Amino acid sequence: MWITLLTAVAESALEQLLNKEPALAVQLAATQHKTLAVTLTDLELCCALHYVGEQQGKARCFVYGNYQDQADCHITTTLSTLQELSDPSQLTRLIREEKLDLEGDLQLAQSYSKAFAGLDIDWAEHLSTHLGDAPAQLLVAQCKQAKQRGASHLSILKRTVTQLCQDELNVAVHPLEVRQFKTHTRQLAQQLAALEQRINALSEL
Amino acid sequence: MVADVFHSVAAKYDVMNDLMSFGIHRLWKRQTIACSGVRQGHKVLDLAGGTGDLTAKFSELVGESGQVILGDINDSMLRVGRDKLRDLGRVGNIEYVQMNAEALPFPDNSLDVITIAFGLRNVTDKDKALRSMYRVLKPGGRLLVLEFSKTDNEALSKLYDFYSFNILPTMGKLVANDSESYRYLAESIRMHPDQETLKSMMEEAGFEQASYQNLTGGIVALHRGFKF
Repeated sequence: MWITLLTAVAESALEQLLNKEPALAVQLAATQHKTLAVTLTDLELCCALHYVGEQQGKARCFVYGNYQDQADCHITTTLSTLQELSDPSQLTRLIREEKLDLEGDLQLAQSYSKAFAGLDIDWAEHLSTHLGDAPAQLLVAQCKQAKQRGASHLSILKRTVTQLCQDELNVAVHPLEVRQFKTHTRQLAQQLAALEQRINALSEL
Repeated sequence: MVADVFHSVAAKYDVMNDLMSFGIHRLWKRQTIACSGVRQGHKVLDLAGGTGDLTAKFSELVGESGQVILGDINDSMLRVGRDKLRDLGRVGNIEYVQMNAEALPFPDNSLDVITIAFGLRNVTDKDKALRSMYRVLKPGGRLLVLEFSKTDNEALSKLYDFYSFNILPTMGKLVANDSESYRYLAESIRMHPDQETLKSMMEEAGFEQASYQNLTGGIVALHRGFKF
């Protein structure tokens, strides 16, 4: 039931997006009444997206969880590979590298990928109806700055962690060395035991 | 008796559904739609469709080239459903037909999908209704039965019984001014066949690959069967 709830939330969010960004609905026109299913092998989950088109002046779509039926295009991949799909030109490379399995209409996958990759939401425009022009502009500018700062911090953190790992790798003992050390220790323990037995034998005399 | 129940509750049906199930009935219906495989151009029958929740979604999925028939034996429910869907602007590919599930007024092999959500337990001769549904489905078509069922979780079962026989009629009295109808609801749920029995009934009617999935711990089950 959680998947059903999540797909309901996703569907509602996507419909809001489609209605606020008419350009997206236009780009998805070619996918009308076609179903794109995505199976994520690492999550053992199959979701599907079905764009219905405009109904009573509103763009409508369906997001299915645990989809079991035939889709016009069915992609089988992992969650990490799915993120690479935001660039439509990567699709054929991913198929060639067997990171992704695609059955059905390739153009449908490319249309969805292209439509979402080219999405440029004007948040200030949408927020201005609730907050007014100036506060909306200010809020969006602050968010963009925060995002840039966050990305910069993340990049520094990544570099630092990578450097630390590399430094640690340089001084870390190799597994073969550990195994050799263990063998030596075991041999020494055996020699010690033998020596102990000899001392005991001698002291009894 | 059943007809009187639905005449009585028709006006407050949607409100009571949301209240009684805490809105979860929407998720159960979503799952039914996800399992329906309905596509553009399909002809769908939403049997015992009541106030048309499933019909509204199906009408979008089948598009202008498809058709959805909202069928119910009760004219009050049908009227409420028709008014609601027209208010939502859903016109053009929906038909409203008062019908008896035991004798569906359609030619053989004429429908792609039939759904019956929370309706089968009110049908007098369930076997006859299932045979009738099988007859009108096209080869490759499917039937989906969304219905209250039996939970095998003892704690949940006790809680559910208390809720059904004590809280539900009180809610019915307060909101719809009708406690008897909601007492009937609780009793009719207990009389309805359990998951395995209903699956066998579907198989006996001719359905193939009959299966079911429990929703919300088995309080509700979604049965699916195909005609090949």
